[in-house]
Amino acid sequence: MVEKQRGAMRLAACDPAAHALGLTAGMALADARARVPDLAVFDHDPVADLNLLGWLADGCERYTPACMLDPPQGLLLDITGCEHVFGDAARLAKDVHARFSRHGLSCRIALGGTPDSAQAKARYAARAISDVPVEALDGGDKVHKALRRAGLRSIGDLAIRPRKPLAARFGKAVVVRLARLLEEEDPRITPRRSLPIIHVTQNFAEPISRTNDVLATIGMLAGGAALQLQERGQGGRRFEICLFRSDGHVARLAVDTGTPTRDAALLMRLIRERIDALSDPLDPGFGYDLIRLEVPLAEVLANVQVGLETKIDTDAAAAALIDRLSVRLGAERVRQFHARQSHIPERAALERVAQSDASKADWPKPVLGEPAMRPFRLFETPQPIEVTAGFPEGEPRSFRWRRHVHRVTRVEGPERISPEWWRHPRGYTPGNGSLTRDYYRVEDNEGRRFWLFRRGLYDEIERPLWYLHGIFA
Amino acid sequence: MNKKPTHIQPTLPAGAFPSVQGMWKQHQPDAAQSLLPTGAPYVDERLRGGITQAGLHEFFGGAKADSHAAAAFALLLAWRLPESDAGIFWISGDKERQTSGRLYPYGLSAMGGDPACMLLVQTADLRDALRAAADAIRSKAASAVILETHGNARLVDLTSTRRLALAAAETGVLALLVRGDAVPMPSAARTRWRICSAPSAPLPGNAPGLPTFDISLLRHRGGTAPFEARVTWDHATRSFFDAPLSGGLSAIVTDTKTGPASRQRA
Repeated sequence: MVEKQRGAMRLAACDPAAHALGLTAGMALADARARVPDLAVFDHDPVADLNLLGWLADGCERYTPACMLDPPQGLLLDITGCEHVFGDAARLAKDVHARFSRHGLSCRIALGGTPDSAQAKARYAARAISDVPVEALDGGDKVHKALRRAGLRSIGDLAIRPRKPLAARFGKAVVVRLARLLEEEDPRITPRRSLPIIHVTQNFAEPISRTNDVLATIGMLAGGAALQLQERGQGGRRFEICLFRSDGHVARLAVDTGTPTRDAALLMRLIRERIDALSDPLDPGFGYDLIRLEVPLAEVLANVQVGLETKIDTDAAAAALIDRLSVRLGAERVRQFHARQSHIPERAALERVAQSDASKADWPKPVLGEPAMRPFRLFETPQPIEVTAGFPEGEPRSFRWRRHVHRVTRVEGPERISPEWWRHPRGYTPGNGSLTRDYYRVEDNEGRRFWLFRRGLYDEIERPLWYLHGIFA
Repeated sequence: MNKKPTHIQPTLPAGAFPSVQGMWKQHQPDAAQSLLPTGAPYVDERLRGGITQAGLHEFFGGAKADSHAAAAFALLLAWRLPESDAGIFWISGDKERQTSGRLYPYGLSAMGGDPACMLLVQTADLRDALRAAADAIRSKAASAVILETHGNARLVDLTSTRRLALAAAETGVLALLVRGDAVPMPSAARTRWRICSAPSAPLPGNAPGLPTFDISLLRHRGGTAPFEARVTWDHATRSFFDAPLSGGLSAIVTDTKTGPASRQRA
């Protein structure tokens, strides 16, 4: 692998065979070619490396949800409390090794009380932290050189020294790092994905691939998660299924609910919908050997007594239906009206995802004895029309829309709506692009009622255009 | 049409869709089924009380541009339900939204409805829309489910409408099918209507008045003879009333197409 470094082509990485020939990373390509004329050279691709590392990290989430990238080549797993699934930590490490070698990847695994200690042991292939060279301190070349000159070659040498002179000579960072390496201070890792509130895992001795088996397992996990949620007095708002394939691939399915729930049956319905809605179906390959259900988001849900009343609560049915449709069609396709402060008609009303628990807006009450002044249907983009109207600011007499001429028999207007000049950086100046609209309610000779407007006054613009914006019932 | 199930029964394997058969029996005309009155005396008299609440009803626009009138009439009819605050599902596809625009909550509230009770479902295609409508009707989550389609869609056939009709008959949800720019095809709907916009009674200053429709009943499974009527929606009482023939129409005597003549034909 070569990479351009400071104008010269240098080796970025080499395989074991190249190492055996005496090539090392950092060597100039010309030198390497001189030693090994038939050297196979490829471009170094750090992004692909990082992607591979991310993919491996996904796969490693089978061991623990707390998993962190340590670029360029490391992965840190916090396996606290997770070893028992595999027996003990050493067996877990053996499993990691076996899985990596199956992909033709070599790896060094070290277990440590702190992430720093494990990282240093893995990087320098040391059995004990005291054998790790001082370079593990990451203090920079100067520090390392000075320590070596003082005869301090390994962390073990440093551990028995008093810390204060070290801090005075090399700075506090070195001492902090030393404490972490010596497992005196535990910094904890920052996982790639935030840790779920609850996770339930099922391991299989043999991979399973039949959809029914997978669903049955998820159902069992859902039951387990529901129990845990009940103990906490919570209901989940988001559920994630992680399907770990035996070849390291991980498929994730997420299901959101509008209200907190811990109803396993309901959850299973949503998950079935989710699986049905997948554009490319789940590919079990050689089968899943680990399935995990995570609850990343939960809210308080009080215990309710069910079963005494046979009447189905309409609200609960609506929430369940909204969840189902949101899962199947996408949450953004199931919406409710939402009001916003604005004078511009199309900006005053929004539609919001129905699953978000937005408070219900108060809409104006109808005015007695007056017809609706706003159309029941509005075009997102006003439709351009050709209008015959009185000059200069007269009422429309007829207009042509979608190849049909409408003769106006009744008209009311104009209702003048000024642009929101306070939102404009330069405020209101005639002709700065924001134009006044004159709205007319009209009825044509066939009894259809429309909402038209002329965009711009005659002193704002030379030739104002007409648009059809909405339709009255 | 009621003979249909006995006709297809022999071709079905024994025990297949037993619930469908059961539902169909429920679906037979039943005097006890609650009727939804429109509020307009003439129309309710012709309908012998109103339209069946637990059933599917179809609304066609008279002309291409009348699809909005059909949509508005269906929506106003849903608001006639006593418990319409329990929620109304409005299901339409991307295509319908593209051609007909979106529902505007200020206009809905000005007609006496509560936009907070509306739930909008926008699907990518008609297949999803039909499925969502069937689910919405079956779940009893809403008091009314309105499905809007545009154009002559082959998917809206006897099978798919019967699915909706059976679900509505089972749960008692009012199911309304708005079919803009389409020609009537065989369907399982209890009633089929053609809706056109009609000139309103003008307000002072020749301003457009209250929503007015020319409605014509094309088909009724209960045997009611087709008829035509002109109704106006009053948002104060949330009900229709028979549009006044005199006065209201005096201003549009030039129009012969939708004038009093058509009313007399009924």
